[in-house]
Amino acid sequence: MTFSGEFLAFMSLALVAVIGGVLLLNLTKVVHMVVALVFTFVSIAGIYILLSAEFVAAVQILIYSGAITIIMLFGIMLTRHNDSSEPKTGRLRKLLLFLGVLGFAFAVYIGIYNLDIEQTPSDLHVNNTEQIGIELYSKYIIPFELTSVLLLAVLVGAIVLAKRDDEKEAEKE
Amino acid sequence: MVEELLYSQAGLLNFGIFFLLATVLLLVVLGFVTYAILAERKVMGFMQLRQGPNQVGGRWGLLQTVADVLKLLLKEDAIPKLADRPLFILAPVIAFAPAFMVLATIPFTDKLQFADIGVGLLYYIAISGLTTVGIVTGAWASNNKYALLGGMRAAAQMISYEIPLVMSVLGIVLLTGSLNLNEIVEVQKNGWFIIWQPVAFIVFLIASTAELNRVPFDLPEAESELVAGFHVEYSGFRWAFFMLAEYVYFFAMASLTTVLFLGGWLPLPFLDFIPGAVWFALKFTVVIFILIWFRSTFPRLRADQLMEFGWKVLLPVALANIFLTAILKELLNIF
Repeated sequence: MTFSGEFLAFMSLALVAVIGGVLLLNLTKVVHMVVALVFTFVSIAGIYILLSAEFVAAVQILIYSGAITIIMLFGIMLTRHNDSSEPKTGRLRKLLLFLGVLGFAFAVYIGIYNLDIEQTPSDLHVNNTEQIGIELYSKYIIPFELTSVLLLAVLVGAIVLAKRDDEKEAEKE
Repeated sequence: MVEELLYSQAGLLNFGIFFLLATVLLLVVLGFVTYAILAERKVMGFMQLRQGPNQVGGRWGLLQTVADVLKLLLKEDAIPKLADRPLFILAPVIAFAPAFMVLATIPFTDKLQFADIGVGLLYYIAISGLTTVGIVTGAWASNNKYALLGGMRAAAQMISYEIPLVMSVLGIVLLTGSLNLNEIVEVQKNGWFIIWQPVAFIVFLIASTAELNRVPFDLPEAESELVAGFHVEYSGFRWAFFMLAEYVYFFAMASLTTVLFLGGWLPLPFLDFIPGAVWFALKFTVVIFILIWFRSTFPRLRADQLMEFGWKVLLPVALANIFLTAILKELLNIF
């Protein structure tokens, strides 16, 4: 195994991502969890950069930074202040879970360690923004347009739902 | 020099050089922030027919901000008893780190740039969105109703105005065919984008003022309604970090405006004996002055007006601009 700068960067990013994920599961307050999620998402974007997928990385941060803020606001608004979830599991269950996780990790390790992925040289990383754009607007144009129509329908639906509530309340008053 | 470094082999020496350069940039930015605050107070003073700071450091108050910063550093570090301690400490860091990270892609001259990223423009917008997380975190961790209200407003405002900001820039991306800031500047040799994209420039200027949380869009820290908004409970150097993030964004946003619309380091015709760095500095100063001018002239918007203006005026105008740019580009291609 070579000890290069890329390896170092990958290890630190992966470590932050995993720690963020573990903290997300183990912390008890909603806002703490969301902050842990931020670290996970940002370090995953860092891993995309290591893979030369700079466009995906930028979009990952662009979309999730907005989304996380919204999750945080929902977390603040829809839960009680100072509310925290309590652990309910017994000791036996924890032990069984730990064994299960260990077994899974072992299986994945066995599966991956000797897996020989054929490496084909590709120029996908050169100008990848441009390539994504060309693919999206020529080869995958119909799925792309369908997705946008779906999103538009969702947007209109959300506005209609939000509006209707307002009117009903006004009628009640 | 930097260009060679960017494409050189990675190694400990280069890491050291970059680390040193980043430190120098940080110091330059700190110097800028110090004097931007002074300039802001002075310009606003003159516009409001008063003197502004004129006691510390000579007639122009040149050491006023230095003294203010020293005071902030010497203050007691107070954390409210009922605040969420870890998040309260982490929030200023989350707010400041992206502010400094965005400076990496901005080309100050054709030779002075820290990272030549293909998606430079997108990188700037994406990373700057992370600061909102820091602001909301700080607001929640303070455990104070005014802070939380300020944080909520900051989140709503920054997400709403990020969309027209991106949309207004798309016209430029269409004309350039690239998201790389260097290429965007190169294209402007045929005329700055402020001439080709005047509508986009106006939308961008308004949306960037809103993104910077400056008057007339300073609702997150509206001092007449929310005491001090999201940073009510912060004091001393933690508060200084929030302020620093705000002014580093001021620096970054003015640089970005210069690069996108005012031709970056490109000179005016017949004046190309003046070096690019000077041109950049001049244009940059003009943008900074305009933003300070805004601050002392406009009254603050109401929260509902702010949202309506963003979604019902700026966004349609920006979309129409993209549409028009695309049509014009195709027509020009035909003829």
